[in-house]
Amino acid sequence: MDKNIVSRVYLGGLLILALSLFYYQALKGEHYLRRAKNNYVRVVPLRSIRGSIFDRNSRVLAYDKAVFNIAVIPHQIEKKKNSLLKELAKFSDYDVNLIHRNYNKGLNNIFSPVDVILDINKSMVLKLKERFKDDILINPQAQRHYSYPYEFAHLLGYVKEAAPFYESLKKYGYRPLERVGFLGIEQYHDAYLKGEDGGDLIEVNAAGRTVGFLGVRKPKRGKDVYLTIDCRIQKIAHQILGEKKGVIILMDSKSGEIFSLVSSPSFDPNFFIKGRNVQRFLDNKNYPLFNRAIQATYPLGSTFKPIIGVAALEEGKITPSTKFNCIGGINIADTEFSCWSVHGEENLHQGLAHSCNVYFYNLGIILGAETMAKWAKKFGLDSLRGIDLPYEKKGFVPTPQWKTDALGKHWFLGDTLNLSIGQGFIEASPLEVLLGINVFANGGYLVRPYLLWKVDNADSRLRAKTYLGISQGNLNIIKQGLIGAIEADGGTAQLLKKLNLNIAGKTGTAQTKGESHGWFVGFFPHQEPKYAICVFLEHGGSSYEALGVTYLFLKRLKEENLL
Amino acid sequence: MKLKLTPVKTIIICVIFLNILSLMSLYSSLHQAGEFKEQAIFHKQIIWIVISWACLIIFSFISYRFYFDLSFILYGLNLVLLIFVIVFGKRIMGAQRWLDIGFFSFQPSELSKIAVIFILARFFSHPEKSFLRVVLFPFALVMINVFLIFKQPDLGTASILLFLFFMLGFFSKVRKRYFIFLLIGGFLFSPLAGKFLKSYQRKRLTVFLNPNVDPLGAGYTIIQSKIAIGSGKIFGKGFLSGTQNQFNFLPERHTDFIFTVIAEEWGLAGCLFLLSIYYLLLRKISQGLSKIRDPFAQILSLGISSFFFLHIFINIGMTLGILPIVGLPLIFLSYGGSHLLISFILLGIFFNICRSHK
Repeated sequence: MDKNIVSRVYLGGLLILALSLFYYQALKGEHYLRRAKNNYVRVVPLRSIRGSIFDRNSRVLAYDKAVFNIAVIPHQIEKKKNSLLKELAKFSDYDVNLIHRNYNKGLNNIFSPVDVILDINKSMVLKLKERFKDDILINPQAQRHYSYPYEFAHLLGYVKEAAPFYESLKKYGYRPLERVGFLGIEQYHDAYLKGEDGGDLIEVNAAGRTVGFLGVRKPKRGKDVYLTIDCRIQKIAHQILGEKKGVIILMDSKSGEIFSLVSSPSFDPNFFIKGRNVQRFLDNKNYPLFNRAIQATYPLGSTFKPIIGVAALEEGKITPSTKFNCIGGINIADTEFSCWSVHGEENLHQGLAHSCNVYFYNLGIILGAETMAKWAKKFGLDSLRGIDLPYEKKGFVPTPQWKTDALGKHWFLGDTLNLSIGQGFIEASPLEVLLGINVFANGGYLVRPYLLWKVDNADSRLRAKTYLGISQGNLNIIKQGLIGAIEADGGTAQLLKKLNLNIAGKTGTAQTKGESHGWFVGFFPHQEPKYAICVFLEHGGSSYEALGVTYLFLKRLKEENLL
Repeated sequence: MKLKLTPVKTIIICVIFLNILSLMSLYSSLHQAGEFKEQAIFHKQIIWIVISWACLIIFSFISYRFYFDLSFILYGLNLVLLIFVIVFGKRIMGAQRWLDIGFFSFQPSELSKIAVIFILARFFSHPEKSFLRVVLFPFALVMINVFLIFKQPDLGTASILLFLFFMLGFFSKVRKRYFIFLLIGGFLFSPLAGKFLKSYQRKRLTVFLNPNVDPLGAGYTIIQSKIAIGSGKIFGKGFLSGTQNQFNFLPERHTDFIFTVIAEEWGLAGCLFLLSIYYLLLRKISQGLSKIRDPFAQILSLGISSFFFLHIFINIGMTLGILPIVGLPLIFLSYGGSHLLISFILLGIFFNICRSHK
């Protein structure tokens, strides 16, 4: 290898750079210095309009509306900045500190306008312009607005300026002033909704007046997004939950299309858009920003029983007529595992209808923890359901191996009994539980839930389902048990019989620290299920409260002909 | 075997000079209309420089032969990380090419530069010179990397890897015509590459040919970058006095466009001085090449100097508008930890080669 060649190549390369530098700095230096001095090139950003979001009946849920901001150009008001901002505040009745804060936040370069007063009414805009003339600019801007803020906060999310995350977003073509979706549909489908910002590139003189027009890039409008949600159902669900902490999900049993998904308590995303004080949402002990339907996991309680039932049938451990005797509890190693009543001799159908713990303790002992865990996983309780919302959390299914590895403790028979009635370590999100039970409604399919229906006019539904390979006969036996919970004497969900909707389902009271959680998960009409429903109340006391909410919710839907 | 003049001292002096210039330019670029903004960036860089020097010392004590055995493991690790970034990145808004490790984040594509230098040094120093083993196989390995990094998308690193392959190939003892075959083949397939470019990357390439196409976006950067450099004239505007820079006309000026800050403030004289320092550095790394008997070490040090040269040439070339904007740091000067660390580690490896050949 000749060292001279290597060195010469390097020298050659650096000489090319040196020559170009000589050209730009020595020969054309004067020209560029002049341009630098006159470099009053200003970019006036033109914001793109973000796509709107509609419900399934084309009711608008989120859209961009025009608002008027008052802007100043830092370079132009340099000397009189403080007095001018003070005058502006006095005249417009806007907080002077807020004006200063907006000024400091928006300052990008001294020739670009900075919005100091945001979102004021038209007459005030005209008054201010008359008073302050060329010292201020009227800056009409697109601002996101949510028609049903509390009802849709978790589903839609909101938008933020990209600036704080610009470093990580810029490689993907975002600009700092552009808005980017945060949480919900706004984030998940940002690529559709986001348009492309443009701008005017103008030349200004030292006084800040426009002297030349260098170019424009027109902003591009984002695409409209249509959801599968029915706004009317969503509103009712939100109303019925009221102050309670909890979740209502209503879904198409066959396709996984979501009609309504409400998490309560909720928040007002418009507050985040307008830069108003959002501290009360952030500090709230009930975590209103949290979407409980998909971002939180809870013990399943008795809603886990149908899965254990079908597992025992499929594994050939029992027949539908196998009976166990409930004397109000079962005694294992000096510990009492109780049932909530004394049921006597019961078969699977009765065990499900009456939600007998003893029946399922026995199944748990027969099946063993490993097999139960296998079936819980088969029903998707520890995997993401793939709904088109960000930050979905998956549930957790414990195994003896896990307990030894993670906690350094042995798995006891008591753990097995707890698992058999959905207590102990097992947890899942309300969405996961709904889709698990829905398997019994649609002939054995784990469907993928979705919210996106159309983008502009193109059908964009992402349907997917997994066949679990469970025999139809066994599915039907469990389904009959779930019908029994509503129809049979002493069924745990008899309240729903009054609705005449032919509901099948399972209640659940999940014990936890503090008040128990309440569940109702089901589907209807049971002959040809169309809807799957999940009602969950966090620390709601018991399944009875959840049943009550289900009853009121479906009653309203029926009254208003929404089913 | 004795080298006439130990290059280590000269290199250390050069790098200390570059460190100081880097901090000064960073300090200046973080000023806006006289106000020192984002001081945290400045402090972070100081910490990075300290860490990098520590790594240099550590690596100068690790026998370079070790990398011969390590090369495949490192290459495999780098593939895993790159795939991880692609899979992981898609989940979070498609916006991640960084891995967070505690207090700093790290860019796996920087690691792949080292991995590629190692495997190339290993293959090209192989005594057997068959086309398949010595050229085609390493080419395939490099292309897998190029493809994954291209996907991220990081055009700059992808092109550095390709250039490294050809530069090391041409300078090593492998037959030149093999590489000419590959180059011709590459040209025939190049229209395909256009398909993989993201729309904004394609835009950047068109803008390179004509900056006025997109005066607001990529074109704006080239125009403003040229104004900054040109207006520095012969002796510059002086420290902290660059108007282009101070009035925020140039985005990313503390990272990829740090050279514009130097050119505006120190003028042609400063730039030529900087280029001389760079040349001295490159020369010191390449001057002992013919005296190194171990072919692996020879190609390794060649890889190290080529790595520095390519970064310098492409980065300054793009600020001058003679090369497209691909997003590469200026070695030893730009803000950023990953590339600084890698450069120092490479120097440490070179120092070890020098020690072993004393």
